Amino acid sequence: MAVPIDVATGPGGPEPDAPLSVAGKAIEGRSLGQIAWMRLRRDKVAMAGGIIVVLLILIAVIGPYFVQNPDTYNQELINPIFSRPNGAFGGISLAHPFGVEPVTGRDMLARTVVGARYSLLIGFLATALAVVIGVVMGVIAGYVGGWIDSLIARAMDVFLAFPLLVFAIALVGVMPSSGFGLSGNSLRVAMLIFIIGFFAWPYMGRIIRGQTLSLREREFVDAARSLGARGPYILFRELLPNLWAPILVYATLLIPTNILFEAALDFLGVGIIPPAPSWGSTLSNAVSQGFYSTDPMYMIIPGLAIFITVMAFNLFGDGLRDALDPRTR
Amino acid sequence: MVTFIIRRLVGTVFILLIVAAVTFAIFFILPRAAGETAYGLATQYVGRNPTPAAVHAMEQTLGFNQPLYVQFGRYIKAIVAGEHYLGQWCGPPCLGYSFKNQQPVWPQMVSDVPVTLSIGVGAAVLWLVGGVAIGVISALKRGTIIDRLSMSVALAGVSLPVFFTGLIALELFSYKWPIFPNVQYVGITTNPLLWAKNLVLPWIVLAFLYAALYARLTRAGMLETLNEDYIRTARAKGARERTVILKHALRAALTPIVTIFGLDLGLLLGGAILTEVTFSFHGLGLFTVEAINNQDFPEIMGVTLLAAFFIVIANLIVDIMYSVLDPRVRY
Amino acid sequence: MMRRRRIGVTATCAVTAIALAACGSSSSPSSSSSTTTPSGPAYNQGISSVINPSTAKGGTITYDDSSTFDSTDPGNTYYAHVWNFSRLYATPLMTYTSTPGSGGNQLVPALATTPGVVSNNGLTWTYTIKPNVKFEDGTTVTSADVKYAVERTFDRTVLPNGPSYFQLLLGGNASTYPGPFKDRSKNLMGLTAVATPNPTTVVFHLAKPFADFNYVVAIPQTAPVPPDKDTGANYQLHPISTGPYMFQSYQLNKQLTLVPNPSWNPATNPQVSQLASKIVVNFNVNADDIDNRLLAGDIQMDVAGTGVQAAARARILSSSSLMKQADDPLAGFEWFFYLNTKVAPLNNIACRKAIEYAANKITLQDAYGGSVGGQIASTAMPPTVIGYQSFDMYEALSKPNGDPTMAKSELTACGQPNGFTTGIAYRSDRPKEVAAATALQAALSTVGIKTTLHGYPSGTYYSNFAGSPAYVHSHDLGIDIGGWAPDWPDGFGWFDEIANGNAIVPAGNTNISELNDPVVNNDLAEMESASSTPALRATLANEIDHKVMSDAVMLPIVYAKSLLYRSPALTNVYVQEYYGMYNYGVLGTK
Repeated sequence: MAVPIDVATGPGGPEPDAPLSVAGKAIEGRSLGQIAWMRLRRDKVAMAGGIIVVLLILIAVIGPYFVQNPDTYNQELINPIFSRPNGAFGGISLAHPFGVEPVTGRDMLARTVVGARYSLLIGFLATALAVVIGVVMGVIAGYVGGWIDSLIARAMDVFLAFPLLVFAIALVGVMPSSGFGLSGNSLRVAMLIFIIGFFAWPYMGRIIRGQTLSLREREFVDAARSLGARGPYILFRELLPNLWAPILVYATLLIPTNILFEAALDFLGVGIIPPAPSWGSTLSNAVSQGFYSTDPMYMIIPGLAIFITVMAFNLFGDGLRDALDPRTR
Repeated sequence: MVTFIIRRLVGTVFILLIVAAVTFAIFFILPRAAGETAYGLATQYVGRNPTPAAVHAMEQTLGFNQPLYVQFGRYIKAIVAGEHYLGQWCGPPCLGYSFKNQQPVWPQMVSDVPVTLSIGVGAAVLWLVGGVAIGVISALKRGTIIDRLSMSVALAGVSLPVFFTGLIALELFSYKWPIFPNVQYVGITTNPLLWAKNLVLPWIVLAFLYAALYARLTRAGMLETLNEDYIRTARAKGARERTVILKHALRAALTPIVTIFGLDLGLLLGGAILTEVTFSFHGLGLFTVEAINNQDFPEIMGVTLLAAFFIVIANLIVDIMYSVLDPRVRY
Repeated sequence: MMRRRRIGVTATCAVTAIALAACGSSSSPSSSSSTTTPSGPAYNQGISSVINPSTAKGGTITYDDSSTFDSTDPGNTYYAHVWNFSRLYATPLMTYTSTPGSGGNQLVPALATTPGVVSNNGLTWTYTIKPNVKFEDGTTVTSADVKYAVERTFDRTVLPNGPSYFQLLLGGNASTYPGPFKDRSKNLMGLTAVATPNPTTVVFHLAKPFADFNYVVAIPQTAPVPPDKDTGANYQLHPISTGPYMFQSYQLNKQLTLVPNPSWNPATNPQVSQLASKIVVNFNVNADDIDNRLLAGDIQMDVAGTGVQAAARARILSSSSLMKQADDPLAGFEWFFYLNTKVAPLNNIACRKAIEYAANKITLQDAYGGSVGGQIASTAMPPTVIGYQSFDMYEALSKPNGDPTMAKSELTACGQPNGFTTGIAYRSDRPKEVAAATALQAALSTVGIKTTLHGYPSGTYYSNFAGSPAYVHSHDLGIDIGGWAPDWPDGFGWFDEIANGNAIVPAGNTNISELNDPVVNNDLAEMESASSTPALRATLANEIDHKVMSDAVMLPIVYAKSLLYRSPALTNVYVQEYYGMYNYGVLGTK
């Protein structure tokens, strides 16, 4: 009677039994998490993505302490007729490794690093909020069905049809300058996370709801139910692991969308309060002010930053999904 | 199924009512919370340096000094039954008269719909076919350079603002190399070939933005289903590879695609704002931007309701499609 | 610091080799370098001379607009470019001389035969209309049509956009007259303040003397409207023309097409011409695309007349051949920061003066596009207003980078030696204002004045935020950005709405500083008294300018300049000083 040694457990399957030593070496069954981590480690590209994500977070958190003041004007580095930096590539020099901003001459490295803090914070947390609300709502709607499904699905419709631009403009007048113990940009960031996240959830909600509607009729759900499993167990141990794929895909693509969304809100007066930098607003400025033709670096730097961020999250997310899904070879 | 559809259509009316109420609240109640008065609100619509008498007269005409529920009721009634305004009759659906140019809102919107429809539907077909194709290829060639490259291109589309890609597309393909000179909207009845030719750039630019999500969802879905047992069975049966991929694997992965396609198309029909602004196509998106810039409430409300209508109908169709695609789905 | 600036400019001059124009335009008030080289026009030549003079007829002129006209109805518009354009189909009683240079600021009769004849101690103004002027359908224009045109502007629920001068200035029943749409009595001639004793005479009875009344009748609102063809809010779709062109078709907010008016008699208004055989205006075109189209030759003119966008600006300034087709005139308006006199501690004049000294004019100018975008301003009134004289009270020209020492001493005088805190309001959808507000914040922080930035959408900026004194007070918005363009180019037209203590209103306020200085108020009243003369008005304008600046209620930023591109296909192109853009009334095409 052989004891299973290396059990590749499927979703919701039983945990392996306690280890039995064979041939002198302790053989342990691995948990789902451990298996996933092993697989992830082997996927070089995904690990690269993960490392970049960690690096970005590091830059966002401690980077601002190591760079110059992002708000200092350096007029002498700007050509007064064209309003663009004097040197090539946006004025790159030893003092300014990423060059300087047109019109103002502010250091681009500093603005990019400090901008990372705002953009990543908002992009990441707003996405997280949208995903959490969307998944919870979607799963409940799809699984429970009936009038709860109708209610939640109609709520999603209303949110999708919500005139967000009108709301944002009207918000300007009532935007408080302090509250919840925060003020200034800290309060703004919190509000933006809330606003962006709160209006992005129905998209995720509908995707998850659709998937759940299909999945709940699948055999393994019936099997789990016949074993006596109750609602929450089925939701979290049976359905959720099968929802990772669309969740991860959409979440990772939502991050850059939200970063750019914040830039759009800047234009309406409800974004980050200047002179605080953000990648999205720098990119928008570069395009709308025509700097992409006179000083391309001003556009390339934030554009590249956003692109690298989304690439990293996507590669890591792919790898994570592959690692968590036991069916992939 | 029929009762389901009827129930949903009835629900649509309620949703439109809620959206109307919400828009109304945002427009009129939020400013009051900021300390705005009816007089102050009316100042927005009387031009520079009006006399106080003029502001009061405008207040009266626009009904700002009446209680909010009266204003709202009047608006809803006009939609259903039409109303008289400034000596003119505006038949149902009467979405009011623009605060800015006193012209009826509904005819203006109707004339803009074909433009938005042309942009939206064309781009939708492009990103659906393109995105899914890229996703399928990436799934089949997982891990190879083709997979990584196509993913990078798709991700670039999502990371760049639409108005930038549009601008670059115009500068390169309309001015530098006059492949698509003088991009302007031409009606399909006027000149179908020119209509299509002038729409190519907006279609590609818009599709570029959406293709990423479709490609990646397809890829993820395909990767899952390709490992299912029934795929192995189908292959063992000797079915052609193309049948295996398209008929068996792809079909099962389509649910999320259908979901977001409905959402995206529904949202887009309410106005592809950035694309229309970049290419100067006079559709609902441009109409929305104007309306918001002018704080023109009837126009804002009109376009919001129309957009809400499209979204709700699109979601209804998607829900019906679920049960078509996946017979196990029951409501 | 000034040396650095000069070096910068000199280097640019050498590099771009446009010796005269680029170097000259940053210091002289009226940029006019007009050397006609034999090989064709030069940069800025369109400011002082007519480019491509020609009487050739034919061709189509296409205009693009990044937005829409507020209204094509001449009685319902308040934008300079629309007033400019409307002369093609609407002839008011007076208009501005169509000529380059300062002559373009002078009034000349149009529909009237002479400027108004004043009597009754300045209370009565009589105009005689030219005989046999025809509408586009051949009917003759009478004085009743002019009276009706003025009457209809009284109903602000139908025509809300235009100026309100007639309601404010006329006597008789003007204060209660509801307009001919509501008052159908007396054959729609119910306004007693305007009399029409015979078909060619219009008499205006004013409530108080107003010496500038000729300027008031130069507004398109006096262009005649036939009462039986007036469709109220729909008149904008096809105004009945008294100008050289008439409406052929108009898809609202999309496209307007004008064709020559067959009933046009050139003697009616010598300031406009009928040359092109078709004029097309496209609305809501993407602003950057307009520049591309203009430079590619697909269209001939950007009708907004405020200059090209940043990308095209760089393209033009780096190409000597493109620069020959460009002019950089003063646009006729000025950008300010209003310093509110009621928000503490700005209610103390020394604190306001501290701001004046601390501001860095160079960074502010750069925010508006450098020397091509604007000329550093030291006065509250720009050079295009009659009576302008340059003076520099707060070292804006002598120390453009700011004077922290003087600023700090003013702070001490104000009782805030370590600085204070206040808010700066600006429009968040205007990148130049974002840049200017940020620049001011940086400059003020060097002397200890801490500011918080508040951005608002431009649609509601004047009605709900900066233009609402209550909001300004409750949100501590001591510094508010704004721009101003006058309805007519004299001191009253410039200062009345922004500096008159009697002009402060609870919403839509334009006297954002809430200045209430009796000297200023009295000067403004005196300007319009019966005994006023142009010379007196010029002197008073200058006096008000000095007083406003010494009260430190405005921090002038720049006199706006627009980099305009003139299409080589156009004839008779020149900048008309009153509009600050090309004169649309005389254009033809090759």
